[in-house]
Amino acid sequence: MEVACLQRRFIDLTATIFQQEILDSQFTQLQQLQDESSPNFIHEVVSLFFQEAEKLLNELSKALDQQIVDFKKVDAHVHRLKGSSASIGARRVKDVCIAFRSCCEENNKDGCIQHLQQVNQEYYLVKSNLEDLLKLEKQILASGGSIPTMK
Amino acid sequence: MAGAHQTPSAMMKPLAKLFKKLQTFIKCTENRTSILPQKKIIHGQPEEEEFNYQTTRCLSSYYSIFVARLAIMVMLAILIGMLTMLTWHFTKVYTMNSINSLAYGLRYELLQRPILRVWNILNSTVEITMAQVKLSEYVISHYEKPLSQEPAELHQMMRDVTWALFSSRTALDAITISYRNGFVQAFHRDHRSNTTFYIYCELVNSSVNQGKAHHGHIHKPRDRPASAIWYRERLDPVTGEKKGDRRQIPPDDLIKIAGLAEVQDGAASWRVAVSKFTDSPLLSAALPVRHPSGGSIVAAVGVTTALKSVGQLMKELVDFHSGYMYLTSLEGYVLATSTDAPLLRNTTGRKLMMATDFEDHIIRSGAEWLQRAYGNKFPINHEVHAENVLLGNQRYYIDSFFLNLTRLPLVGVIIIPRKYILGKVDQIGFTTLVILISASICFLAIGCVCILILTSGVSKAMKLRAELISQLDARRRAEASSNYKSQFLANMSHELRTPMAAVIGLLDILIYDDCLTNEQFATVTQIRKCSTALLRLLNNILDLSKVESGKLVLEEAEFDLGRELEGLVDMFSVQCINHNVETILDLSDDMPKVVRGDSARIVQIFTNLISNSIKFTSEGHIILRGWCDGSNHSSRPECSEAQKMSQCALRNRSKQHESIVKKEYQKNDKITLWFEVEDTGCGIDPSKWESVFESFEQADPSTTRMHGGTGLGLCIVRNLVNKMGGEINVVKKDGQGTLMQLSLLLGMPEDCTVNSFQTEFGKYSLKVLLALHGKQSRSIMSQWLREKGFFTWEASEWNGLTQILQQVFQENMQWSTSEPINLSRIRVVPRENSIHKMGGLDILIVVDISLLDQSTNIWKQQLIFLDQYRGKAKFAWMLSHDTSNAIKVELRRKGHFLMINKPLYKTKMTNILHAIVNEGNFENEKGSNQLNSSMDEDLHESHDLDSIHFDAISSDVSDISDMDNRDSKINTFYSEEEITERNPESHQPSYSNSQKISTQRVPLDKIIKKPNILLETENLINMSKDFTETDKHGGIIMDYSCRYGYNKDNKKNMISSITDNLQDIKPQAVVGNEDAFLKLNQPHDGGESVIEQEYQWNVKPTLYNKGDIKQKMIAKTSMASPGNTHAEGMEKQLSTERSVELAYRGSRLLENQDMHYSVHKNDCVALSSLVPDQNPLGGLCILLAEDNPILQRVATTMLEKKGAKVIAVGDGMQAVDAIKCMLCAEENKRQNSTHQDDVAEGLSELQKYTSFDLVLMDCQMPKLDGYEATKTIRNIEAGTGLHIPIVAVTAHAMSSDEAKCLEVGMDAYLTKPIDSKLMVSTILSLTKRDV
Repeated sequence: MEVACLQRRFIDLTATIFQQEILDSQFTQLQQLQDESSPNFIHEVVSLFFQEAEKLLNELSKALDQQIVDFKKVDAHVHRLKGSSASIGARRVKDVCIAFRSCCEENNKDGCIQHLQQVNQEYYLVKSNLEDLLKLEKQILASGGSIPTMK
Repeated sequence: MAGAHQTPSAMMKPLAKLFKKLQTFIKCTENRTSILPQKKIIHGQPEEEEFNYQTTRCLSSYYSIFVARLAIMVMLAILIGMLTMLTWHFTKVYTMNSINSLAYGLRYELLQRPILRVWNILNSTVEITMAQVKLSEYVISHYEKPLSQEPAELHQMMRDVTWALFSSRTALDAITISYRNGFVQAFHRDHRSNTTFYIYCELVNSSVNQGKAHHGHIHKPRDRPASAIWYRERLDPVTGEKKGDRRQIPPDDLIKIAGLAEVQDGAASWRVAVSKFTDSPLLSAALPVRHPSGGSIVAAVGVTTALKSVGQLMKELVDFHSGYMYLTSLEGYVLATSTDAPLLRNTTGRKLMMATDFEDHIIRSGAEWLQRAYGNKFPINHEVHAENVLLGNQRYYIDSFFLNLTRLPLVGVIIIPRKYILGKVDQIGFTTLVILISASICFLAIGCVCILILTSGVSKAMKLRAELISQLDARRRAEASSNYKSQFLANMSHELRTPMAAVIGLLDILIYDDCLTNEQFATVTQIRKCSTALLRLLNNILDLSKVESGKLVLEEAEFDLGRELEGLVDMFSVQCINHNVETILDLSDDMPKVVRGDSARIVQIFTNLISNSIKFTSEGHIILRGWCDGSNHSSRPECSEAQKMSQCALRNRSKQHESIVKKEYQKNDKITLWFEVEDTGCGIDPSKWESVFESFEQADPSTTRMHGGTGLGLCIVRNLVNKMGGEINVVKKDGQGTLMQLSLLLGMPEDCTVNSFQTEFGKYSLKVLLALHGKQSRSIMSQWLREKGFFTWEASEWNGLTQILQQVFQENMQWSTSEPINLSRIRVVPRENSIHKMGGLDILIVVDISLLDQSTNIWKQQLIFLDQYRGKAKFAWMLSHDTSNAIKVELRRKGHFLMINKPLYKTKMTNILHAIVNEGNFENEKGSNQLNSSMDEDLHESHDLDSIHFDAISSDVSDISDMDNRDSKINTFYSEEEITERNPESHQPSYSNSQKISTQRVPLDKIIKKPNILLETENLINMSKDFTETDKHGGIIMDYSCRYGYNKDNKKNMISSITDNLQDIKPQAVVGNEDAFLKLNQPHDGGESVIEQEYQWNVKPTLYNKGDIKQKMIAKTSMASPGNTHAEGMEKQLSTERSVELAYRGSRLLENQDMHYSVHKNDCVALSSLVPDQNPLGGLCILLAEDNPILQRVATTMLEKKGAKVIAVGDGMQAVDAIKCMLCAEENKRQNSTHQDDVAEGLSELQKYTSFDLVLMDCQMPKLDGYEATKTIRNIEAGTGLHIPIVAVTAHAMSSDEAKCLEVGMDAYLTKPIDSKLMVSTILSLTKRDV
């Protein structure tokens, strides 16, 4: 019973995440890659993403705090963040990154700062959602259920 | 000068009026012109806004023009006025000055003369007086002594002297001498009567008075003579003789006699006097006569002169010059004038008149003016010069001069009318002024007109320019807005397309899900259809906006036009059958098989056109015709030549019925292809023929309700056609419906020769009975067949078919006897031995399955009826997609394997004919109606070709082609695999030629061979019972059969239909297989065949006797004519021993084939890549260069899941190092291959996988980015001849990035996020060639 409840919650959460476009099909692909041979794949990748993203966000806020902003550097960071978020399927972070980059090209500092805030927001959204998801997954596994597959 | 100032201001007034008039005129015209566009506005409501804008602009421009005009005119007027004024003024001033000075001189001169005269008169008077005085003194002194004695003597003496003096001076009026004693002597001259008188007085009391006179009583008062008696004597004026008696006269009556009183001071006295007898005043002078010794005055002498002569002179002068003159005394008494008016007043005695009282009014008024002006305060010298004095109503010059004589100062005044001096000048001045003014007015008028004309020209230009500017503005705005529209559409439809694709994909997944209920399945199918329709609409919009914004770039690739169109027709025919509409493809034979162009777009054109036609056609037909531009295409003569050639070479190529017509084309030659799409729908109104090609335009808007659609289809078509350098028009058509004609300019393939295969069937003298339902397709087909040399019959229904069949077979019986006659009727073709080969089976009956009555079970009887002709004719069945399985099964059971799907077009017909001809050959050989595998093969060939076309054209046709559910699904899958496998190949032109051909061939061959393999498998299974040796091979092939397990159904059918036959005549079947195999190898390039033959060559000697070797020799040498093999096959049939051997050989051949397959192992792998639980990338070792740990992890996992080994590195430098190591290892391997293991052990972790099959390279990496890394790797490779495929992985989805990637030496390009399917297929396409 508990398992079924958890599973339903998992499905609901996944559905909302996908509906809000927080994650996209890329994440589904990743989920498909996780199997017996690599049971911790998603967790691994997601935590890698968290590390990377937090590092980059720190770098970005540091870079934008400077008096003279090195837009090339900022652009490179954003590009990396974009790549990372794209690979994990964090759609909204990626979208904001794209806008962010166009701002960088224009050397628009205010826009960059604004976008950095957005990226931060989106990142924390993704992070909380992913953490919830992973926690739920763990719970399901712990209670002996199987993770429902998403199509 | 005042006048001069007045006149210009007076002149300005009319000018101002003129200006006002001009202004009003201009205003009028402007109003008119500005009203006109406003009127237009009322007509063109939608343009109102624009026009309003324009009119306001116009009005403002009018005003500015008007102001400019006015300013120019005013300036012109001022200029001309100034010029006029200045000219006039200066002329006038100079003229006046000179004339005034002249006039002054004249006046002065005029006045001077009378004054001189007066002066003369005075002088002469004085002289005479002086002379008289001197004479008197002398006489008196002479008579001093006797004075007292005889005064009479003295008087006499005095009288004579005086007379002499008086007569010498005729101008004198009188001379008087009055003595002291009162005696008076006087001479007087009356000028009027010209008489001269002597007047004297007699003293009455002379004694008394004498004493007094002598004794100093000389100064007795004058009144004393009153006592005297006065006498007058008339004298002869010349001689002085007395002429009359003396007469007593009153004293002093005649003349004024100067008395002593007047000369009391002893000086001369002057005065003006008047006399009774003269009208003019007199000038009298008196001088005393003194005693020569005593100095006392003894007498006074007076001389009187009339001033009349002065008046006369004045008159003369005035007569000559005009004007008035007068002289006055200082007191103002008039002395002389130039007029005849009396100078004296007669009222109370004669008196002098004052000038102010003068009778002549001019003089009077002049004098009055002088008095008014100066009063008594005359200037010192008394000179006055006045000009322009108004007297009466004329202007005069008044000048006065003062003559200061002692005792008689005189003032002369001259009054000259201004007219006299300046009359002409004034007149000329006035006319000049008039002329000047009129001339300037003329100038002004002309100038104004000129300005008007000029400015009107300018204003027109300005107006036009303003209009032009506004138009340009409007245009720019319109363009911008349309551009925005296009961009918006492009963006929108792109945004919409993405989710739509996802929706459709998900639906596909759902449809293939097994757990759906029927109801759900139907719903999902419906949703999928709707989504597809929506996606199509979006695609249309995107296409349109793409074309409109000029972003569409046409692809240039070779493709098989005919095949594309056939597929299209296949697709639509399914749709049309429901509509009771025939779809017909009618391509002329001269069309090139392969052309260069954008196949997808061309298909889109025809899809749009045909679907449009279908939409509006409820019954009838839709024909797609195509032909080549006749001008640069002349294949006919070549064709016939080729025919002859082929006939000559008939023996050698009895099996190869295709003659190759070579057409030479120039490189990059363009060819114009013409197409027509004809339908029998509702048609388009001729007035709409042009507008249907506009976007969102439909011939009849009401059709939207019935048929749907947005009217974009034809617009896209036209845009695409234009883009391809063609045109599309609606053409007039006989009868109902629409005929659209279009031309396309397509490139020819780069290899200049095009092989167009034309089949030579004529020599088989086939007769074809077309029993087809559709009238149009039947007639087109039969016409084509006739052209090809076939005799045809046509039947449209069952009854017709039976009738013809009966007739034909009756006739056919006769034909066998009277053949030539009939032949000549059809077509004379040299047939030689082919006739007997056909063995009478030269009739092909193409039967449309719909001719059978399928609603009831009558079709079974009908089939039985047809069955009786089976021996005499060949049957080909036309199936439609909804043909029930029962019929198919029944047909197969009856041995009708030649089945094709509708519609029938030339390629299919050719295939059927091929099958028939081939079968005929076998039949000839075998002499029985046994099953022939080639027939099956053909049957399946056509089936498979159908499905390939179907899916190659559009992947979403699967819903349209609801074929026999599962079967079709499998087919679809299969062909999808096909496509995915073929695509990468076609994108790599660098691929070596022979390999390319073989790889392209193989999948095709596989399709063809597939059933063949099955058959062979069957055979082998059967044979394996007899020949255990072959078990092994059978096992291998079983493996294949497992792989193609989805053909189970087909296989089962095969088995059920052929098992019996096979069981009985295995050897023959095997022979058949062999033949089939040989035949299948025909399309292969020579190399493969040779390999195969060599294999045979190598194997055979060990197994077969010499005869066999010989036989193989023949088989090898006559590859092109395998007919010989058949002939020998016939011989083989005779001995069972041989047949067993042949069976074995067949199995060996299959093994060979197996090997052949293994050569193309990769293809097989690729083919089965979608089969689950397989590692498509198995055995591959991939180097992944990716800095992003997440992507690194993801990609690694993805690749490992697919079975590849992955080495991940963090940047470009490491990747380069890894490749270097690998190359080093290779080198080492090469150098000392014996120590390979030792070396391998010594290598690091990276070098464990000594050979990377592929590199996945991220483009943006620290240290060394992907581009640089690739360049470095390529440099390292340069000497070694190796080429590691490098696939770029980049987040940049721009095509420029792709170009950059390819430029630096990368082989392919993947975008992030990585799609695993795409990645796998890309990797496979790149690694395949390494095998």
